[in-house]
Amino acid sequence: MFAFLLRRVFISVVTLFLVSIVVFTGVRMIPGDPARVMAGTDADEAGLEEVREKYGLKDPVPVQYLRWVRLALGGDLGESIRTRQSVAWTVATKLPITIQLACFAVLIAVAIAIPAGVLAAVRRNTVWDLLASGASLCGLSVPNFWLGIMLILLFSVRLGWLPASGFVPFWDDPVGNLQRMIMPAFVLGTALAAVLMRQTRNSMIEVLSADYIRTARAKGLAQRAVVFRHAIRNGLIPVVTILGLQTGALMGGAVVTEQIFVVPGFGRLIVEAVFTRDYPLVQGVVLITASAYVLINLAVDVSYTFLNPRIRIRGSGR
Amino acid sequence: MSLDASRGTVPAEIPAPAPAAATPTGWVHRGWRRVVRRPASAAGGVVVLVFVVMAIGAPWIATTDPLHADWSKIRKAPTRANPFGTDDLGRDNFSRVVWGSRISMQAGVFSILLAMAVGVPIGLVAGYYRGALDQLIMRLTDAWLAFPFLILAIGLVTIMGPSLTNATLAIGLGATPTYVRLTRGLTLSAKEEDYVLAARALGAGDLRLMRRHVFPNIFSALLVQATVSIPTAIIAEAILSFLGLGVQPPAPSWGTMLNTAQQFLESAPWMAYWPGLAIFSLALSFNLAGDGLRDLLDPRDY
Repeated sequence: MFAFLLRRVFISVVTLFLVSIVVFTGVRMIPGDPARVMAGTDADEAGLEEVREKYGLKDPVPVQYLRWVRLALGGDLGESIRTRQSVAWTVATKLPITIQLACFAVLIAVAIAIPAGVLAAVRRNTVWDLLASGASLCGLSVPNFWLGIMLILLFSVRLGWLPASGFVPFWDDPVGNLQRMIMPAFVLGTALAAVLMRQTRNSMIEVLSADYIRTARAKGLAQRAVVFRHAIRNGLIPVVTILGLQTGALMGGAVVTEQIFVVPGFGRLIVEAVFTRDYPLVQGVVLITASAYVLINLAVDVSYTFLNPRIRIRGSGR
Repeated sequence: MSLDASRGTVPAEIPAPAPAAATPTGWVHRGWRRVVRRPASAAGGVVVLVFVVMAIGAPWIATTDPLHADWSKIRKAPTRANPFGTDDLGRDNFSRVVWGSRISMQAGVFSILLAMAVGVPIGLVAGYYRGALDQLIMRLTDAWLAFPFLILAIGLVTIMGPSLTNATLAIGLGATPTYVRLTRGLTLSAKEEDYVLAARALGAGDLRLMRRHVFPNIFSALLVQATVSIPTAIIAEAILSFLGLGVQPPAPSWGTMLNTAQQFLESAPWMAYWPGLAIFSLALSFNLAGDGLRDLLDPRDY
């Protein structure tokens, strides 16, 4: 088991290393003087010289890379061209908003997907199963930004129940915060719910046909006890991995959702950064997102090994 | 042993094939039965075809120029002449939705073709040769997969500049690692099959084995994956265009149309209905058709 963990950590480190290379080269593929790219078009010669100095742009590329990584590991991701504030600080102020949004989205998704998936598996090939699978397929196919627009149209424009956009911090005005968060969280949660429901249904079907479930039934346990005490525990294990793997989609989805509902989070930050050609900010945001994804999935895998002894033996490689 | 002797007698012993299975009508009949068993998938396939026809026949279906602005008809509700209403520049929304199908189809299909063209050979090589090369490719794929699809596409468009071609490229490159992984996995199991070993014993080279024996046998699984990744790619193009990072105005992309529509939700909600409904129905039909195709090609589920 220790060997497996070690191997898993090693692979993650390699992945992070490759991620950093991709991000580093990405910015250097932008046509033009790299100092100009990083300092912005309105930087004067002194500003350019400062950037060249800091990142050693006259040095050989590998040396530049190592310097960049060293700075990044110390939390220095450069500064935003537009605001002149540090990238790390800018991201740190925006991230909590997106994390709140993502947590709500996950809550909504789990609240919909798990019961529906379990129901679909238990009542396999019935109307319930058909309804759940149909809903899941619709959730996968609906463009979430359109869903967002339609929700605004219904609940804000027509009914006037919810504010269409904006954000207030939770500690300032909890009710206002929740009112503004509910639609974006639902929109962000739908796609996730669709994926989770499929996974829940499939793995529950598999578990329900296992021998130990047949034994449980044979000894006369009620259906409810079989499903809730015996099947769910194993049936939901793969769902947790999917949740980990879906964090990437969640971060991507946050970009669009925040754009529609004008939530001033991480996703809106990246779009603004792209439009203002704020390359250091784009670079920082992309690096942070990819690293977070790798680390979250490492955490999921590691926590798994403790939860499920079978993985230790099976999961020796990908 | 008695192989030669028995070979001569075999044809006589084989029972005559069931006539229904051999005749073309039998084949049609069986196909039809499969279609009937999955009406939703069949309907999905039909709708996909409708969209294909719409994309190809756009000039004949929507005779109004999708770019023609008419200042006397700004944001008019649907009428007989403009069944989907008009937009903020007085352009015909129906025409724009129809022409938009070209852009969506183009982005969806070409990006996935690109992903397959790059990903499948790499996956084949990785799965076929294993070893250090495989390890290297898989670690690179892991790194590529660490970038959330949309974030990667946004990053690439930032570097390359916004346009339909670049959005298609970015989506294709974003979808590539999925195909590397899938192809590698399929190759790993396919290359151990007896027919591959037999072909190798007969002296077939690596390239020929991969091209003629492994690839044709993993193709159906790749096809199924393609039908489910095309809708994702179509939605991704719409998202990029919606954010202003894909197709640029005035071209009629469903994503850019929705971006404009969002500004006029109160006065002209019809601008938001149709492009979104088009994306939704196209993606849903692809997903339905994909589900059906998987069952058709993989009988294990029955």
